[in-house]
Amino acid sequence: MRYIFHAVRMNLRAAAQYRASFLMQSVAQLVMTGCDLIALLVLIDRFRHMGRWEGTEVMFFFGAMQIAFALTECFGRGLTTFSSVIRKGNFDTLLLRPRPLLLQLSLNACDPRRVGTVAVGAAALIVSSLRLGLVWTPGRLLLLALSIAGTVCTMAALFLLEAAFCFFSVQSVELINMLTYGGRQVCQYPADIYPAPLQLLFTWVAPIVLCLHYPVSWLVGKPMADFSPFLLWLCPVAGPAFFALMTLAWRAGVRRYRGTGS
Amino acid sequence: MTQTAAAMTAEHLSKTYIRRTRGRGILGLTGREAVQVKALQDVSFRMEAGEIVGLIGPNGAGKSTMVKLLTGILTPTGGSCTVDGLIPWKDRRAHVRRLGTVFGQRTQLWWDVPIRDSYALLRDIYALREDRWRRRLGELTDALDLGELLDAPLRQLSLGQRMRAELCGSLLHEPAWLFLDEPTIGLDAVSKLKLRDVLREENRTRGTGILLTTHDMDDMLALCRRVMVLGHGRLLYDGGLQELLQRYDREHTLRCVFSGTPRFGSLPQGVALRQEEGAWLLTFLPGQIPVREVLQLVLAAGELREMTLREMNVDRMIAGMYAEMSL
Repeated sequence: MRYIFHAVRMNLRAAAQYRASFLMQSVAQLVMTGCDLIALLVLIDRFRHMGRWEGTEVMFFFGAMQIAFALTECFGRGLTTFSSVIRKGNFDTLLLRPRPLLLQLSLNACDPRRVGTVAVGAAALIVSSLRLGLVWTPGRLLLLALSIAGTVCTMAALFLLEAAFCFFSVQSVELINMLTYGGRQVCQYPADIYPAPLQLLFTWVAPIVLCLHYPVSWLVGKPMADFSPFLLWLCPVAGPAFFALMTLAWRAGVRRYRGTGS
Repeated sequence: MTQTAAAMTAEHLSKTYIRRTRGRGILGLTGREAVQVKALQDVSFRMEAGEIVGLIGPNGAGKSTMVKLLTGILTPTGGSCTVDGLIPWKDRRAHVRRLGTVFGQRTQLWWDVPIRDSYALLRDIYALREDRWRRRLGELTDALDLGELLDAPLRQLSLGQRMRAELCGSLLHEPAWLFLDEPTIGLDAVSKLKLRDVLREENRTRGTGILLTTHDMDDMLALCRRVMVLGHGRLLYDGGLQELLQRYDREHTLRCVFSGTPRFGSLPQGVALRQEEGAWLLTFLPGQIPVREVLQLVLAAGELREMTLREMNVDRMIAGMYAEMSL
């Protein structure tokens, strides 16, 4: 525990070494997410509807997804930069330290400033919830928290898959970027505005929609067309299960690395 | 097999990589062949706790592979190795907890923060007790002259300072075994001596076992009584450094300057002669031909103005040894 706090503090201090860049990065992150929000507001203002969804409802999806992505980036950034760890040969250093590899990797690049962008998502969530007049019971709050947590797991699992790929080929990560960053863009909005193949991809292959959109659509009071209470139970499980699956890929990668050392 | 005694052992340790050649076609995926690269073959040895052993061999001989196997970075393809009863690649965390490593070209500290902060994080990574860590850090900064540098970030340090900083970081948790890969490469004389002093002291007072990879013969002579020589992935020699030096007899060079042109008669077997910057160089192996005879040869050749006996060139000797051993 002490190690975790210490490592995070150290990243901050390292970033603070370059003061101008530190400030600019912090501001830039807020502005970027803020811009996404503004773009959404403009869209809503102009068109009022997105498929069967009211603008305010869309904003609720947007908020939930932003929170999930900000949290994932905070802990998973070390995974997205993993190819450079491999290329520079720094993976050996991780293997030489008596701590779990994924923990070290996550802490190496964990940047708590990213949590700042959670605020933007939370703002969107609260505003839309008020305007929709949603009634929150502890159970519903728990479901929201679980679905966000599940989404974090799913996104982190995709990051992990991307990192695992680096063991096999340093260049081929673009394919998975399509799922991670593409997923982030696509899943900001309710999934059923998209063509079926895209929906299927993010429901059953990379189950962001399953983790987030099904429960959120139910919370907002407009369940997805093929919604069933059974899915509500599946949602909190899908994320961690997907993550567990991807750790297998990661392990295979580590095994290969230790087999070939390159 | 239970090996409880503190020692590092390898039995028939082997590592074979399979490397795929780039094939034909646009993607280079057709006609690819798998080539077996035998990086390490059938290496067996036993190193007791508290020994300092030098690991030498030309580039590509398998030194890094051996170190990576022993530190648990790589898994062997054949044979086994244990360090104090632990299997490096299986018991990774328990094993590396007792390990210190300094790999010359690669830093293990954090680049952008004062090295003091790196050491503090290492304290938490190795879960060291605060008071113990503090005392140890004091000891090491004194021994390595790091006091003034603790607040500088690593990137601002010179190579010599950085090496000392790395060594300090690798010793903080009082490892039982220390792996050093080219620790003195590129260092000035003072830094080299300091580093060697600290290593010797560490070994003497704490019984730290040290496996040292180096091309620097002075490091060897200063630190190791035992060396292992690797060539083409095989262990070619494992024994005393002095015996090794004696076995590969030292070549002596006699540098002579004459007034006028000397006249050497026919040279006896084992003496070679060449000219260099106005001087005559006679090289010979003392074991093969008595020094007296060589001197007589020189005195008979002409009027001698000056003469120096050059120390053996250890690096050349090693090169000769590699050439002879691994052909």
